Amino acid sequence: MTEKTNENWEPKIIAFVCNWCTYAGADLAGISRLQYPPNVRLVRLPCSGRVNPFYVVKALQEGMDGVLVSGCHPGECHYISGNLSARRKFAMLKNFLSYVGIEPDRAIFTWVSASEGEKFSQVIKGVTEKVRALGPAQKLVKKL
Amino acid sequence: MENIEKQVREQAKKLLADGTVDIVVGYEKGTLPFQTIPCFITNPDDAERLVWNRFCSVNLAKYVHDIIFAHKASQVRTKPEERTKKTVGIVARGCTTRSLVIHLQEKQYDRDQVVIIGVPCTGYIANKKLSMAVNGAEITTCTVAGDALSVETKGGKRDITVNEVLADSCLTCRFNNPVISDVMIGDAAPPMPDGEKEYNAVDAFEELPIDERWAYFTKEMAKCIRCYACRNTCPSCYCKVCFVEQSQPRWVGAGIDESDTQVFQFMRMFHMVGRCVDCGSCVEVCPMGVDLRKFLKKLDKDDLQLFNHRAGESLESAPSLSVHRENDKEEFIFEP
Repeated sequence: MTEKTNENWEPKIIAFVCNWCTYAGADLAGISRLQYPPNVRLVRLPCSGRVNPFYVVKALQEGMDGVLVSGCHPGECHYISGNLSARRKFAMLKNFLSYVGIEPDRAIFTWVSASEGEKFSQVIKGVTEKVRALGPAQKLVKKL
Repeated sequence: MENIEKQVREQAKKLLADGTVDIVVGYEKGTLPFQTIPCFITNPDDAERLVWNRFCSVNLAKYVHDIIFAHKASQVRTKPEERTKKTVGIVARGCTTRSLVIHLQEKQYDRDQVVIIGVPCTGYIANKKLSMAVNGAEITTCTVAGDALSVETKGGKRDITVNEVLADSCLTCRFNNPVISDVMIGDAAPPMPDGEKEYNAVDAFEELPIDERWAYFTKEMAKCIRCYACRNTCPSCYCKVCFVEQSQPRWVGAGIDESDTQVFQFMRMFHMVGRCVDCGSCVEVCPMGVDLRKFLKKLDKDDLQLFNHRAGESLESAPSLSVHRENDKEEFIFEP
């Protein structure tokens, strides 16, 4: 493995997205041929409520530079309230990650609906820029 | 305090004798001169073993869960109609009753399976602080009279005030009287001295630059030897299979890798969102003196600020992650 240097480093971002909104939004972005950075890897889940906070922490430990979690807008969840309970978890998680000293921009939460292809590409651009500004992840990363 | 002890014994004896409870969980004298250990009494005549003093430290709610679940497991091969329920009596101070409330809210057992002997609490003496006060010398005797503590070590005798060696969680405790009880003993205890300063340490830590916070976190977690004593003593940690021992998926490696330890501690603490009653048991049992409270208290503070909830404060206030409101704060949501 080549060493991570600022010259050849590209941010590696994992996105946990909900099947009903953000994944469809990503699909729309693709169909509409909108450009967004290729640094993101999407993982499709049934709902943002399915995202165990452990996924976020584990992704950071396994060397992801940024983690994005995205679901339906509040009130529009396919399962009525999955994203509302997710929102509580994420509020606590985001605060706690930053409290122990991990940059807040490493874990980003957002809502993207199925019709917001444009917003999806903007989100990915935004997240990639934020993570690029932070540089390679050093904290919590398991060194093999 | 002797009076409370006497009444605790009487109550325990009565409850056992008339068959209200099958077992009473309380504290008894330990093997060291002043230490107390949990005890389990089934015979009314043994109730005299119970003690109540400033050295009663660990949260006993854990044992109620353990006893009830061990009993349940022993009955899996009994016909359903012949199964019995175990009723546990427990000597409980404020934090212990809050843990019981959490168990009840999480539907771990029925309210009628636990008989709470509520005792007012004025804080317990933290072993680590006591040992630090005498510079780690071996303590031969230790007697408490009111708020004065006289400690005898091989090197000599020392008098200290109780407040100097009370556990940190006791000094800022706002729930030193039981929140629920079936039998209440004695009069309500006065509020603890530093209740208002509850989140001072957290506020100060939040102000530090991010790299200093990370440096502190890594320094503290580097002490951890993964003995899991914190998890074993925590009343809110009752999963049948803990995530650290789970192998499919294997969440955290079992080795000595420092990031595994950080992830273990981070996630164990994160499981305490809206469930940590700040009883201080994890800090008390930690053999390495990891400053867990600094981090757990943050979760407590956020829980109060974001969801206006305090762990186990009453049976009616639902655990914060089990409910949600449409207008929950969401400033943290990223908008491009």
